[in-house]
Order: sequence, then C-alpha cells, then structure tokens
Amino acid sequence: MNDVGGMQGFPPVPQEPDEPPFHSDWEAHVFAINSALIGRGIYNLDEFRDAVERIPAQEYLASSYYERWLRGITTLLAERGIVTAEDLADG
Amino acid sequence: MAELFRIGDTVRARRVDPPHHTRLPRYARGAAGTVTDLLGHYPLPDRSARRLAAEPEPVYAVAFAAGELFGEGDHTVTIDLWESYLQPAAEEPRGGDTAGATSLPPRLRRDAPRGRP
Repeated sequence: MNDVGGMQGFPPVPQEPDEPPFHSDWEAHVFAINSALIGRGIYNLDEFRDAVERIPAQEYLASSYYERWLRGITTLLAERGIVTAEDLADG
Repeated sequence: MAELFRIGDTVRARRVDPPHHTRLPRYARGAAGTVTDLLGHYPLPDRSARRLAAEPEPVYAVAFAAGELFGEGDHTVTIDLWESYLQPAAEEPRGGDTAGATSLPPRLRRDAPRGRP
C-alpha cells in the first residue's frame, strides 16, 4: 500500500500546532516496543517498514500512524512464532 | 565496493514495479537526474526487508528537476537512491529487479570488468 514517495490524490496532511510526540500513552508504548525489538535483532527496520506496507489497503487507509506500527509489530511477531493469535486476542 | 557513478553523472532511476519493499519512490521511476553527493554504503532495503543477504552498496543523492518528475515546476527533488536503483541516463529506461545485481545486464554486474569512458 505504502509508497515511500507518497501518493497523489489525498488531501493535504493536517498541520497540528504544538503537536505532541504522542497523542496517547499506548502510542509511546508501541514506539518503545518497536525500538526494543529492533534493538534486540528480532527484526530489522526494513522488515518493519515492509510489514507496515503489507497491511491490506483498506485497513492501512483506515488506521492511524501508530495503529499501523502496532499492526506491523504484531505481524512480524506472529510470523516469527513469538506470539500466537491467542496471545494477541488475550491482549 | 567502488561506486559505479560519480558526482555530476546523469543517471536514470530504473523503471521497476517490485512486488516487495523498496525505497525507490514510484514517482521517480524512469526519471533522469544528477548525482549530487555520495552518501556512503548501506545494505539494499529491498533485500534486507526479506532477510536476504545484503552487502552494503553505494547510496547516492540524486537531484531531479520537478519538470522531469511531474511535468511542471521549477524546483528540484533530491532523493537518496541505492546503486541498484540506477542506470546510466543515456540508456533507455529499463526494468529489472531492484533486489540484487543478478538481474542487471552483464556490463553493469558488480563482477564485470569496470571501466569508465
């Protein structure tokens, strides 16, 4: 779905004055978890970007920035056999 | 590895549509630009994203005229591009796989004798 150069046909990106780094606490957790997993060598940054790009188009477009991150992380952890579908369902 | 291109060279982004991760923007594919800087050597993301062996290869800053990319505009767009994404500008746009050197024509393969005009 994603193209590194961006796509035409979407409205302008909203500009938020004094935008905080994170809009919710869970977003900071997602950021930290991803950094830890890459730092531990569970996957690399390119694999993470690829996992985000593999999100089905409809879901990708309906998701926020860090929702896409979380989906990319869970995709990679499931593919590595580190978590199961049941783990994810249990939260 | 030695760089195939130098600062000032005109290069063309390959016309490709890879079924995997790439850092070559779609809007730049097939466009000609000028190498403005050598940025070092890094593994090709197209390969490392799939856990394939990826030897570091040259990455260039390539400046494209907006008119070349979009048909209009006076500005330039500078994109960081891996050597596998590029071909000499004088050649016709060519596809191929961005995921490695094996699909390059023989004269561009890394193990081919390298000479500059």
